[in-house]
Amino acid sequence: MLIKIQIVIGTLSVLLLFITFELIRKERLREEYSILWIFTGMAIFIVSLWPEFLLSQFFARITGLYYLSAVVLIVFLFLLLIVLHFSVVISDMKQMNRNLAQRQALLQLELDSLQKQLSPPARESP
Amino acid sequence: MKCEAKTLAIVPAYNEEGSVGGVVKEIRRAYPLANILVINDGSTDLTSEKARQSGGVVLDLPFNLGIGGAMQAGYLYAYEKGYEIAIQVDGDGQHDPGEIPKLIGALMEKKTDMVIGSRFMGKTTYQGSIMRKMGIFVLSRVISTLMGQLITDPTSGFRASNRKAIRLFAFKYPQDYPEPEVMVLFKKSGLTVCEVPVEMKPRYSGESSITKIRSVYYMVKVLLAVFVDIFKEKPSLERRMTDVD
Repeated sequence: MLIKIQIVIGTLSVLLLFITFELIRKERLREEYSILWIFTGMAIFIVSLWPEFLLSQFFARITGLYYLSAVVLIVFLFLLLIVLHFSVVISDMKQMNRNLAQRQALLQLELDSLQKQLSPPARESP
Repeated sequence: MKCEAKTLAIVPAYNEEGSVGGVVKEIRRAYPLANILVINDGSTDLTSEKARQSGGVVLDLPFNLGIGGAMQAGYLYAYEKGYEIAIQVDGDGQHDPGEIPKLIGALMEKKTDMVIGSRFMGKTTYQGSIMRKMGIFVLSRVISTLMGQLITDPTSGFRASNRKAIRLFAFKYPQDYPEPEVMVLFKKSGLTVCEVPVEMKPRYSGESSITKIRSVYYMVKVLLAVFVDIFKEKPSLERRMTDVD
């Protein structure tokens, strides 16, 4: 039973690590985020290799987690924090995006009016 | 009267090709002293062309920012070009430009930083759904309590602002439901506001962003936004304000 879960989790973590590396290679993911995901992938991978660790007395004693469901809860909270972090990042980017759009429009208007001033009023002689 | 104060009429318009031209012409007729800036908020129709044809200066935003982002772009323009007064007039034609002199007159006389044109002051012919009237009434009570002053029409977008308010808006303008949220921003920044009664017309074209069914949901969201605003930090613009001016 445990070996099946090990294979599934192990495969998933390798896949996660592979996708993370691919994203970094293609420069689609910034380093500050890639480190987070590499650590997450490695942690899951280690757990899949050595699941007894999570069930061991030693682990339970140092963390106080006697039930595996508690581990799941912690992982869930961790993911929740990541999502919250991304919401903050998206909000920041939205604001920067808005400021850029406003600035672009104002500059375009300025440029157009300057061009109009510079170009001689051709074919409009009274 | 100091009516020669440099005045800008800001007309936000999103897909209002049917009405924006008429609004620009009416503003010109009603208050010839004002320069007119139409904010084309990423329209997919001929809003920009129609506004240009009727003689307005058009600021074309590269994509739709929503009313908050669009208005702020207008206030940025007003601030950087040194306008003393900015008037907000919706591009859908529901605000009667004939009332602009009244708003500006009140801004001069009452010495407040902003004047709101209210549909609900004095005798009014405003025809809106009961749900919407009730929603605005609840919101009006909440905003009035916060301000410590009666604000009868906090959702009205028909407003005149002085230089101090323009400067504030250029740096900080609420994005989600700007009209009522501006009230909280004003309270925090120590700016003053008053209302004058105005008539509003039914819309020329297009649809109000608040439909009957959604009006309750809208009010809940507005109230939430206002309550969140109460806990926000006071905008710290003093340094920036002094070194730009």
